[in-house]
Amino acid sequence: MAGRWQWFHRLGSPKWFYEKTTRWLPWLWGAMALFLTVGLLWALLFLPEDYQQGHTSRILVVHVAVAGTSLSFFPLMAVAGTVTLVWRMKLADMVAKNAAPLGAWFSFLTLATGSIWGSVSWGTWWEWTDSRLVSMLFQFFLLLGVISLRAAIENAETAARACALLSIVGCINVVVIKYSVDWWNTLHQPSSPISMEVGSPNGPEFWVATVVMIVAVYLFLAVSLILATRNEILQRESRAQWVRELALEAG
Amino acid sequence: MFDGIQFNSLGEFLAMGGYAFNVWSVYALFAIFLVANLALPLRKRRRILREQQRRLAAGAGQEEAGAADRAGWELSQEPGWEK
Repeated sequence: MAGRWQWFHRLGSPKWFYEKTTRWLPWLWGAMALFLTVGLLWALLFLPEDYQQGHTSRILVVHVAVAGTSLSFFPLMAVAGTVTLVWRMKLADMVAKNAAPLGAWFSFLTLATGSIWGSVSWGTWWEWTDSRLVSMLFQFFLLLGVISLRAAIENAETAARACALLSIVGCINVVVIKYSVDWWNTLHQPSSPISMEVGSPNGPEFWVATVVMIVAVYLFLAVSLILATRNEILQRESRAQWVRELALEAG
Repeated sequence: MFDGIQFNSLGEFLAMGGYAFNVWSVYALFAIFLVANLALPLRKRRRILREQQRRLAAGAGQEEAGAADRAGWELSQEPGWEK
């Protein structure tokens, strides 16, 4: 019984996380570089011209990967927030705190790339009546809200709990974004069914490239979030003996 | 699945069939997004470690400064100290 939950408590230890990620990071960097290189070369050079969209379909590989990945931020922050609320694990809050600004970047890039694509294919940069566009904009503002909420509350523990609650509630919007294209069919098209036939709409030459890019973007999320969380650990644990030793070794 | 590279020349590649602005601005934003969110935390890490080293050196320096005062030395004139 004593041993069963040990891994869980160890996971909450910033030192354990720091040491583990020191070993993981080179592999994550390598995998990210590999998938990113393949994804970019494929999307920019090898992807055939779309019969309707021409070369603008190259935009969609990036847009779909970033947009899809951006939906993982609220669930991630909600899980971390639940751990913070129930077990008061310091590490979970450090992850949640650093996820919010990264999620805002993701949401912004989703809106920008979608807009640039839409200006050609839809003939408009923005449409206030489209539920997918507006709910994604709402996610961007919600994430800015989480960031300002933390900044506004002086007591760090109260701030962590307030952000955890907002993150859990914010997951509702993720469901709205996901199904908006099915519930209200306005401008943004639902995701196209994938096809196994080369040359058909959303054939493997397109969706496999997109899957490669999705993996690349998820790996990037992991690397960036781990780097930011490690910084947070170094700052918050600056008095710990192991951080002092690490700083001296690095110098 | 692969019909080779889709462009016959560099000029054609850059022109993107008339959608150069759209395609390249998206890829430029994507590049900024990737580089910024990797380079900034790495830069912050170096700053944190530098500050930490300075703090540790200052802590050690206080003890040394006491000894230096007794010996009548001016510690700030020693080389290798960041101002």
